[in-house]
Order: sequence, then C-alpha cells, then structure tokens
Amino acid sequence: MGQIVGIDLGTTNSIIAALEDGQPWVIPDEDGTVLLPSYVGMSDSGQLLVGQSAWRQYAAAPDRTVKSIKRQMGTDFTVTLGDRTYRPQEISAIILRSLKQRAEAMLEDEVTQAVITVPAYFTDAQRQATKEAGEIAGFEVLQILNEPTAAALVFDLDSEDSETVLVYDLGGGTFDVSIVEITGDVTEVLASHGNNRLGGDDFDRQLQRYLTDRFRQLHDTEVPNDAATQARLLQAAEQAKIALSEHAFTTVREPFLVSQGETALHLETDVAREDFENLIKPLLKETLDAIDRALSDADMTPDDIDRAILVGGSTRIPLVQNLVEGHLPDTPVSSFEPDLCVGMGAALQAGVLSGAAVDSILVDVSPHSLGIAAMMDTALGPMPGMFSTIIPRNSVIPTSQSQIYSTAADGQQIVEIEVFQGENPVAKENVPLGAFRIEGIPPKPAGVVQVEVHFDFDINGILTVTATEKGKGQQQSLVVNDTKTERLSSHELRQSRDAIASLFGALPLFDAEGDDGEWEDVDVEAEDQE
Amino acid sequence: MQDHYDRLGLSPGATPAEIKAAYHAKLKEFPAHSHPQDFKAIRAAYEALRKAPRAEDDFFAEVPVQAELDPALLDQLQQRAIAAVDVTLEDLIRLTF
Repeated sequence: MGQIVGIDLGTTNSIIAALEDGQPWVIPDEDGTVLLPSYVGMSDSGQLLVGQSAWRQYAAAPDRTVKSIKRQMGTDFTVTLGDRTYRPQEISAIILRSLKQRAEAMLEDEVTQAVITVPAYFTDAQRQATKEAGEIAGFEVLQILNEPTAAALVFDLDSEDSETVLVYDLGGGTFDVSIVEITGDVTEVLASHGNNRLGGDDFDRQLQRYLTDRFRQLHDTEVPNDAATQARLLQAAEQAKIALSEHAFTTVREPFLVSQGETALHLETDVAREDFENLIKPLLKETLDAIDRALSDADMTPDDIDRAILVGGSTRIPLVQNLVEGHLPDTPVSSFEPDLCVGMGAALQAGVLSGAAVDSILVDVSPHSLGIAAMMDTALGPMPGMFSTIIPRNSVIPTSQSQIYSTAADGQQIVEIEVFQGENPVAKENVPLGAFRIEGIPPKPAGVVQVEVHFDFDINGILTVTATEKGKGQQQSLVVNDTKTERLSSHELRQSRDAIASLFGALPLFDAEGDDGEWEDVDVEAEDQE
Repeated sequence: MQDHYDRLGLSPGATPAEIKAAYHAKLKEFPAHSHPQDFKAIRAAYEALRKAPRAEDDFFAEVPVQAELDPALLDQLQQRAIAAVDVTLEDLIRLTF
C-alpha cells in the first residue's frame, strides 16, 4: 500500500502533509516551498500551469488563469482554459494532482489515500464536489474533514484535564469558528458555525475598489473595466494587504496602468493600515457574531473558553487578532502555524483512519440542520411548507434520527418527502437536497396514516433518508446527493481523470493510470454498489 | 436509563466525571469511523446520562419556552398563502404533505 497524506485544499494556497513516525510534516516542492498557490492556468503555448507559475501570469493573463475555485465548489459554474471547459471539481483536481506529484517525488513512493479538508460550514454539495475532485486527481478519499477540527487535532496538550478551545479559522475565502473540547487524545467538537463566502478574497476586493477610487481622484479618470487592468489592481491590493499586516503604511505602485492618448497614467498612492481596517471592519464584525452563535449553540459563554486559536492566512491581519481579543476579554488568543496546521491535522487523521500508530479520537458535528417540508402548527394555525428539523445543527456525526408524521388530508394517498439543509423555518428558503414520494397509501381520514421518516447521516456527511408507512410497511429511501449539481457518474469521473491526467503530459512518477488498469477495477466496484 | 448505564459500563449514581471518562474509554474502543453503529449507541447513552436530572438540579425548574415564530414572517407566509388561492387547499396539502 502506498503512502497516506492529508491535504488542505485552500482558496488561496494548498498544502500536502504526510506522517513520519506518527508526526505530521508538510511536504515542500523541489525549491523548498510548502505553499502551493491555488491557481491553475494555461500558458499562451497551451502548457498547463499550476501554483506559482499560474499565479505569476494572473495579472497579465487573467482570462487564461483560474483563482479561488474553492468558492465555486458545488455549483454548476464552468471555466474555459484552452479548448476545454472545466467544472470546479476538475480545476481543484488539477491542484490536488500537482500536490500528489510533489508528494510522490519527495517520498519516492506511490500516494493513493488522502484526507482532504473543507470548511466546517461547507454544505453537502460542496463536500461532494471536493470528494469528486480527490477522485479525479487519482486519490482514494478516506475522509472529508472539517478544517477547524483538523487544526484542533494538532494541538498537543500536556495535561490530562479538559481544555475548551475556540478555533477561529479565517482563510482566503471561507470562515469557520469551532468550539472544541480536548481531553487527552480525545478531540470533541461541540459546535461549529461559519460563512462560506468570507475571507481574504473579500478584503482584496474591498481594497481594489479603494484603489480604483484613489486613481479616479488622482487622475480624474476611471480605471478601465477590462479584465487585465482589474487583475493587476486586484493583485496590487492583495500585496498591499499583506504588507499592511507588517507595516502601518504601504505604497502601491502600478506604473502604466492606463494610457490616455500619448500619456501613460500611473497609480502611486499610500495606503494606511487604518484605511484598510475601516474597509474590512464590517466584514470582520460578522465573524464575531458567528463566535456568539457557536457559543450559544454549545451552551457556553466566553468565560467557558480556556483559549482561542487563530488559524488561516487572514488571521495575520492585526485587526483580526485585536477584535477576537476584544470579544473574548479574558481568553488568551494565540496563533499557531496559521498556514500549515490544517494540513498537518489532516495527515494525523489520515494516520488514524489507515491504522497507523496515531492515538487520536475525533468526535465531530454537522453545523447545518437537516429536515423535511411539513405542515406544522404555528400561531396562525397549521401551515404547509414549514421546515421540520430532524437532525438539529451541531449534532454529533454519525447520527440517526427519526420523526413520525401523519397525513394532512382525508384520503391522502401520496406523501412527498422533500429534504432540506438549513436554518430557515420556511422549508423552501433552505438548500434542497432531494425529494421522493411514497405512493399507494390506503385512503384514510387525515392524521390516521403515520409515516416514519428516518435520517441516517454518516461521518462524511452522506445522508440517507428512509420513509416508512407504518400501516402496510411500504418503504422508500433516498441517498441524498444535491439535486442541482448532480453527482458525477463513475464514467464521468473516469473521463475527467483521464483528461486531467493527459494535461500533466509525460507520465509522472508512480502515475496511477500507468499501472495496468487499476482504475477500471475501482469503477466496476463502484457501479456494483450502486 | 439502566440500559444507558450498562452501555457505558457504569452503575447508577455515577458522577459526571465518571460518565465522561467512561464515554471517552468507549470511544477509543469503538471509533466513529470504524464502528458507526456502536458509536451512535454510545453517544446516545452519553447524551441521555449527561442530560439526566441530578439531585442538585431543581426538579420544578421551569422548562425554557419554545422559540416563538417571528410574527412578521408569519404575516408574510399568510400573504403568500392568500396569493396562492388559485391552488385548492387540498392540492396545497398534497404538494407539501
């Protein structure tokens, strides 16, 4: 069996980590760099670019470069590179495959199994897309693990006493807060909350808009809205943001940004840290609200938190640390390997799952409520289409829960079970996960026929719904996949895998497709199970 | 209740610390990823015992009131329901169960 790895597939940067003697270490590329920028591009000669090289061409060729694809995971977004369009999971697969190659070159061994992390607040569809990305890249995905949970696995506590830790994870595109209780080698998540669209990318965009305004003030002319100019500004904004974590002021210089007739217009302006902080403060305020929500879900107050740990590149911004400290006044706030600890935790969990000698027990939760649409009693009488929760948010997974419903109309012969994920009391306002019907129910007065709806939610967030009519025992079940972005069939997965593999050109070291149709076998097995 | 104690290998009267220690010991024996069914049973037993009323708890304490629905939201819903009068009530019920 090959090596097992943990992967942090980030919005801005990705890393891959392996275990050595039970300790995780992050695998660098041949230049010694550990962070792989999550950029994929095509050079003008049609050569695939991944990481640093794609990042470098972004400002010059934004139309041939893809960034922040993580934000599109689980949607039907597509992007065209060269002569092919790619789904988000395929772009992610290119990043994963590049990491796989790096690890195989460094470990001089085949790397086949991986734990891949996702934001705790990712929905079912986003998790599914991430798992598919791993499969397209040629991995067997052992588990989709929550990022703040992975980070918590890395903390070594000396004492045997329980410690309650708040993990604040603000990355390039997503935010999570998890409250975790660590007792010896047991890591138990008590509650998670977050926002799948909040991170460093949003700060860059705020600063980009600010620079656009400055340019207008300086030259009394608009910055053209073409992709290349905007990409330059966006990258300048990102650089300025990073500089402002170290310095109180920074100077943005973008020469020849615009040509006006014979003259070229440059952008040269100072940005103060305070200006930047004012731009992002409203966004950061949301993260503090999320802390309160997680605390209340865990039935805790800030006093119950022994310490807070900052994870994710965006926590380098001094204002982030200040705001968290101000919000949790008596709690020590520290930062620990903000770029690396998620990947290291994923490697540890991969070790646990593969039976390596890692003593670590993980209990995690699902941050979203799951339920069905039903007629429910409200202050205005019975209302159809209300959201009836079956698995409340922050339930420990895996879990099984049942609820009994009864028919709403006299002679009702069909019951439709519509499954949703979310927190809105109106079912349709939540994320639809799928629907199915039970037909041929014997006609009886309303309320007489009972239907038991059973939800089974596994450790990877796969939900199986079974509905049983109690009288005749008719049963229907559904394994939920997102209805809008249908799961790829195994045939499609293989096509993607071959297409992505061919992009990597010459057969790399230990290429999985290289050894005599191993993948065909895997596919046949998968189809048999379905 | 006795079932829950048996599941964690405890006897009634176990302290919260003992309940937690027994729960952790069982987790090591039956991790979620390899023994999902055992894990669920252990977790259910732990949750039941953890929430069980203890001597020091006030037995007559008021149960927290269920969260109220937002009246504005209900108004909206009612409007929507009225707007949909061309659908018969039975259709509506059948559509939404």
